[in-house]
Amino acid sequence: MNDLEKGLILAELADRLIAQGSWCGHTHLQKAVYFLQELLEVDLGLKYILYKHGPYSFDLEEVLLWCQSSFLLEKDYKASGYGPRLKPTGISKDHRSRFPRLLARHTRELSFVAERLGSKGVVGLERLATALFVSRELGDEVTLGQRVSRLRDYKPHISETDAHEAFTEFDEVARDAVKLRSFD
Amino acid sequence: MTSLIYPAATHKRFEHSLGVMELAGRVFDVVTHSASLSDEVKRTIPEITQLHLLSYWRRVLRMAALCHDVGHLPFSHAAEKELLPTGWDHEKLTREIICSPLMSEIWNSITPPLRSEDVEKLAVGPRKATDLRFSTWETILSEIIVGDSFGVDRMDYLLRDSYHTGVPYGRFDHFRLIDTLRILPPASESDGVPSLGVEEGGLQSAEALLLGRYYMYSQVYFHPIRRIYDIHLKDFLAAWLDGGKFPIGVEQHLQLTDNEVYAALYQAARDSSRLGHNSAIRIAQHDHYKLLYQRHPDDVAVNSNSGEVIFKAASEKYGESNLRRDKYSQKGEVTRFPVQSKDGRIVQADQMSTVLKNLPLVSIDFIYIMPDLVNQASEWIKKERKTLIHPPQESS
Repeated sequence: MNDLEKGLILAELADRLIAQGSWCGHTHLQKAVYFLQELLEVDLGLKYILYKHGPYSFDLEEVLLWCQSSFLLEKDYKASGYGPRLKPTGISKDHRSRFPRLLARHTRELSFVAERLGSKGVVGLERLATALFVSRELGDEVTLGQRVSRLRDYKPHISETDAHEAFTEFDEVARDAVKLRSFD
Repeated sequence: MTSLIYPAATHKRFEHSLGVMELAGRVFDVVTHSASLSDEVKRTIPEITQLHLLSYWRRVLRMAALCHDVGHLPFSHAAEKELLPTGWDHEKLTREIICSPLMSEIWNSITPPLRSEDVEKLAVGPRKATDLRFSTWETILSEIIVGDSFGVDRMDYLLRDSYHTGVPYGRFDHFRLIDTLRILPPASESDGVPSLGVEEGGLQSAEALLLGRYYMYSQVYFHPIRRIYDIHLKDFLAAWLDGGKFPIGVEQHLQLTDNEVYAALYQAARDSSRLGHNSAIRIAQHDHYKLLYQRHPDDVAVNSNSGEVIFKAASEKYGESNLRRDKYSQKGEVTRFPVQSKDGRIVQADQMSTVLKNLPLVSIDFIYIMPDLVNQASEWIKKERKTLIHPPQESS
């Protein structure tokens, strides 16, 4: 996927997240794209590491900056108390209308991520995305308790109860993602 | 190659590395001073309250700062991507050198010995050492050196390059900025971990640094003539180096400096039978390719890939070997760092600063052409621009 195609996917995702009530700042997009790539297997070629607020991709940061300098996304500071929203532009809308097959190929995955994550704030997204990271790291053979323990090693500020809830929710999202992919 | 445009810019990377080491030590002393630390930061980062650990990490930080660029190729970034094997960059070379037996001997000779992995981590940071896990403390220390917003690498090169080029844009009040840097707790308990930020009183110094960075990129680092010399140099190196690639062995890397390359380049410029002669002579005789087209917002609004469209069309018309393209888009978010306001609240910098909200992104896309063709090709673009630049279409 080239930069423009990635940019159009990201703009489409941002539009769908906003439609679901997301503020769609940097953290929202970082975590939503993490789910899109790692769980829904939309290959954007982005490397993620565990960083300050959970899984984070410096590659995605670069692509988002490129999208802004290419007028596909723009920062919107209107609401005080939040960081900037990354909002798709009219230019991105026009460009997206010219790439119907690209977007059609990923519509189900984009809708899934937007519907499941769009209403979440950054704190919930950090927990859920870190649950995905830990689950991938430890594999299927470990207990819930082991996963909770690992998550809290990485993120001690997340309480045990919140970590448990994050894994319970993540497991449900992961099951639904498997069902979605089985329709292929 | 900058000295071809700004003749006094002949300073060396070693001077910069010494400057980065000195500034890193100063920042460390400010941000770990007990009066600057909140109870929450002390609780979250245990290393910060133990004097023997602080002493160890201060040394690691200064050594990492001294070595952070040790893997740079001759002429730095000029030719890195194309002239190293796939998967290699100067940060990877830096890591290899820091962890080499040659350097390990030095780390082991210090009392107490420094762990090479600690030096390696702080020298390149989590962005370039994605295979290593960083603690909060290590992340903050690496930000002191290579942080996007006010890492001391950036502070030093802006001030130093500004001084040597005679371009004043890169100056800012680094004394004030360093004095106001702090390790700040997260905005709320549920909001992650402490990170490197600035007191409100230093926000204007941080703005000045980031504006300075923007202007230095526009006026010096991305000066179009400076950039085409880099491309001619890259063409020369591709012809001159064995297999068209730099060696990645530590010993061979350390033996190949700017001096060896300059000597070979001027020899090649004088002797048409030598490899790379055509590119060398363009540098030696200042006969560089001319700027034909540069990124224009009106064109980007029609097609985000307008540079590529023009480059392809011009290559077809005038021959690929007569054209060169240089594009770059900003890599890191520089305006997202925490600020502690006078009433103690922690907010993101771009929420407090109108300057940072509106800081332009650095983005270039230059197309160059053989000097003899520039007038003809410029006329052609003027006439054909509207036909060439149309909205992108999905390939069938």
